[in-house]
Amino acid sequence: MSATLKPYLNAIRATLQATMCLQNFDSQLVERHNKPEVEVKGSKELLLTPVTISRNEKEKVLIEGSVNSLRISIAVKQADEIEKILCHKFMRFMMMRAENFVVLRRKPVETYDISFLITNFHTEQMYKHKLVDFIIHFMEEIDKEISEMKLAVNSRARLSAEEFLKRF
Amino acid sequence: MILLEINNRIVEEALTLKIKNAKEGAKPDSIDITVADFDGVLFHISNQNGEKTKVMVSISLKFFKDLQEHGADELLKREYGSLLVPTEDGYNASVVVDLENIPSNWEETVKKIGLLKRNCFASVFEKYFEFQAKGEGGHKRAVIHYRDDETMYVDAQKDRVTVIFSTIFKDDDDIIIGKVFMQEFKEGRRKYQQAPQVLFSHKDPPQELQNTDARVGDNIGYITFVLFPRHTSAGARDNTINLIHTLRDYLHYHIKCSKAYIHSRMRAKTSDFLKVLNRARPEQKDKEKKTITGKTFRQT
Amino acid sequence: MQRLAGHTPAVIIDNGTGYTKMGYAGNSEPQFIIPSCIAIKESASVGDQSIRRLGKGVEDLDFYIGDEALTATSYSVKWPIRHGIVEDWDLMERFMEQAIFKYLRAEPEDHYFLLTEPPLNTPENREYTAEIMFESFNVPGLYIAVQAVLALAASWTSKQVGERTLTGTVIDSGDGVTHVIPVAEGYVIGSCIKHIPIAGRDITYFIQQLLREREVGIPPEQSLETAKAIKERYSYVCPDIAKEFAKYDQDPSKWMKQFDGVNTVTKQPFTVDVGYERFLGPEIFFHPEFSNPDFTTPISEVVDAVIQNSPIDCRRGLYKNIVLSGGSTMFKDFGRKLQRDVKRMVDQRLKISEELSGGQLKPKPIDVQVVTHHMQRYAVWFGGSMLASTPEFYQVCHTKADYDEHGPSICRHNPVFGTMS
Repeated sequence: MSATLKPYLNAIRATLQATMCLQNFDSQLVERHNKPEVEVKGSKELLLTPVTISRNEKEKVLIEGSVNSLRISIAVKQADEIEKILCHKFMRFMMMRAENFVVLRRKPVETYDISFLITNFHTEQMYKHKLVDFIIHFMEEIDKEISEMKLAVNSRARLSAEEFLKRF
Repeated sequence: MILLEINNRIVEEALTLKIKNAKEGAKPDSIDITVADFDGVLFHISNQNGEKTKVMVSISLKFFKDLQEHGADELLKREYGSLLVPTEDGYNASVVVDLENIPSNWEETVKKIGLLKRNCFASVFEKYFEFQAKGEGGHKRAVIHYRDDETMYVDAQKDRVTVIFSTIFKDDDDIIIGKVFMQEFKEGRRKYQQAPQVLFSHKDPPQELQNTDARVGDNIGYITFVLFPRHTSAGARDNTINLIHTLRDYLHYHIKCSKAYIHSRMRAKTSDFLKVLNRARPEQKDKEKKTITGKTFRQT
Repeated sequence: MQRLAGHTPAVIIDNGTGYTKMGYAGNSEPQFIIPSCIAIKESASVGDQSIRRLGKGVEDLDFYIGDEALTATSYSVKWPIRHGIVEDWDLMERFMEQAIFKYLRAEPEDHYFLLTEPPLNTPENREYTAEIMFESFNVPGLYIAVQAVLALAASWTSKQVGERTLTGTVIDSGDGVTHVIPVAEGYVIGSCIKHIPIAGRDITYFIQQLLREREVGIPPEQSLETAKAIKERYSYVCPDIAKEFAKYDQDPSKWMKQFDGVNTVTKQPFTVDVGYERFLGPEIFFHPEFSNPDFTTPISEVVDAVIQNSPIDCRRGLYKNIVLSGGSTMFKDFGRKLQRDVKRMVDQRLKISEELSGGQLKPKPIDVQVVTHHMQRYAVWFGGSMLASTPEFYQVCHTKADYDEHGPSICRHNPVFGTMS
């Protein structure tokens, strides 16, 4: 793990742990509705100040908290064209399966690659610390996976080119 | 499967079945099959003039006119000789197998008919290889519009034959993956000295094609093969043609396989992520469990 | 059938549990019928299966499909489709790679594709299919058709143009299982589908068992193949078993057949007398208790029950158009006997209701028709081939542009078409 990754992830973990303090909260605007306030942004007093944690220009997270929900949006490292399409493909692939992921948002917040939405209902059913673990695990793995995929594509390209050329 | 096959399986299997049936003395029945092949090629297998004992295979290539300029007719005559028959309407060449008069080496004949498409392509290469062998440079460049918006250029100089393909990437992501592949083709030569020199350019045509109607665009790639005498000599010629005429499909096939591979990786990783997420769910304690004998019990 | 101007023929791939049928639209038979299996190299190292399969290089291109897979040594053979539904998408995607590039030799960017799905397939599976076809293969257009509906369309060959309807009951019997599927105006009535655990394989086993009790000359390792060959060559459906037995006993020479086989090991020829098996094999559709003690409902009763379960306003249409599809419905007179048995039940019911009304209500007789036609074996594929060569097909297909714009969810719904032509 490179020198800057650890503090970056630690900062995210700490922020998430603090923001994960959610409670059931009925909508103030519509009777008998219960909405994730971070999404509807109906009343100012229910929202916390959003926090951006950035490792460098390209890699950053946005954590928005509210009384009953929190939203974390991640910008994943994309060093070159190929990483960019791989990241895009992968994120779309996961969001297609958002149903299974429960906390995954079907669309990322603008300028980010992927967003998770955690509500009080999730934290009531699941362990909070494990949810934080999941986000951190995801962030650790995603960079690794994308660079591995890139390597794999490159080596496939090389192999198939060689295979073709050696027949001459 | 790494390399694509050059013969057409469907044509071969259909003919083999017919011939085997005829050899066993079964009554021939009518046949009418239309199938496609790479590069918009169509095959039509039918009965000549409705005679059930005459199986005719016709091929249609959209770019046959281009090939005819470079001696496709002569080459077909040489390869297929007596099998050739007057061309069926709407097609470019037809061959017939007579089930009442099966040659003893019918397996070879079938193989040969399976290679119809390859042989049509071969004409232009053979012609330019010949130019090069004779040391004649300066002939007009051959232009084959082998697909609707993709073109192949063949040019002979005294010491080399240049083959340039243009290819279109239909999907934006393909352009990027395609670029990786073409880069590797360029570099692959370091390891295999006997391979032809490969160059590629993205968006703009290479220098040789400047001032022609070669297309320019974001999704276009040009691949240049520089073939040296060792590739175009009489002995190596067939192998070179076999390889080079499938290049475009080979490239696109591997781009697609790479995407399939990326899909598999993503599936694996996604299920891994799901497992981690599901750890966050507390285990259900009072679930009914089953023993191996089928009894149920409750863990408390 | 004529090729449409400007279009290369569409590709039809019908992925079944046992066999995959594929070919180009416009032809009357699929160009390839291969087992739906794939042979892959699997390393023995530990770890999750899906991760284990991912190599570093191009190992994932080292595989075979179909018959080549079954004969390949040192590979492990997998069947990615179970009960008609795709279970392993990784393998399915690779299966398609070879099906398209090696067998059909089609550049997928140039051809529209028609794929099939079993009734009650999930919408998610359709999305996964679309994801593979559009993203990996860049197909220009895709249509996912329900197999039963294609089977109905295939039966149009035996009818007048005016009678072309997409309402009917489909009996689809392949190797593993038999489905009875009611279809109303192109839509499957999912809640009324019934499955019968009797199909081609069971008939083969049953014949094998009969032969085992009587014939001793068959090499044990070939007994299954022999039974299968006898089933395919000599079996038929009889109207009445008791009479059929009597017929055989009176004049055995007329009815008994002889099967000649060759022992694959010793190359010794052997002969088998084929007797009652000829009609007893297919009879297990009508008397399932012969082979399966747990399931005793004859196929005709199942068909009747399915239609009686369906909405009342389409029952007449369902009775009138009972369509057979799949290899195990090919037995001679299968349709005739089924029609007779269903008709008998229906008439009985009408008679009772007439009696109950004291003769005051005279119900209109119900028309029962079982449709057999010569495309039955590959009915699903043929139906696809037929529909995909109409100009309408290109209008109802989901295109790549649609997909890129809206995402895979557009493939959840595939509109019905073809009835008006």
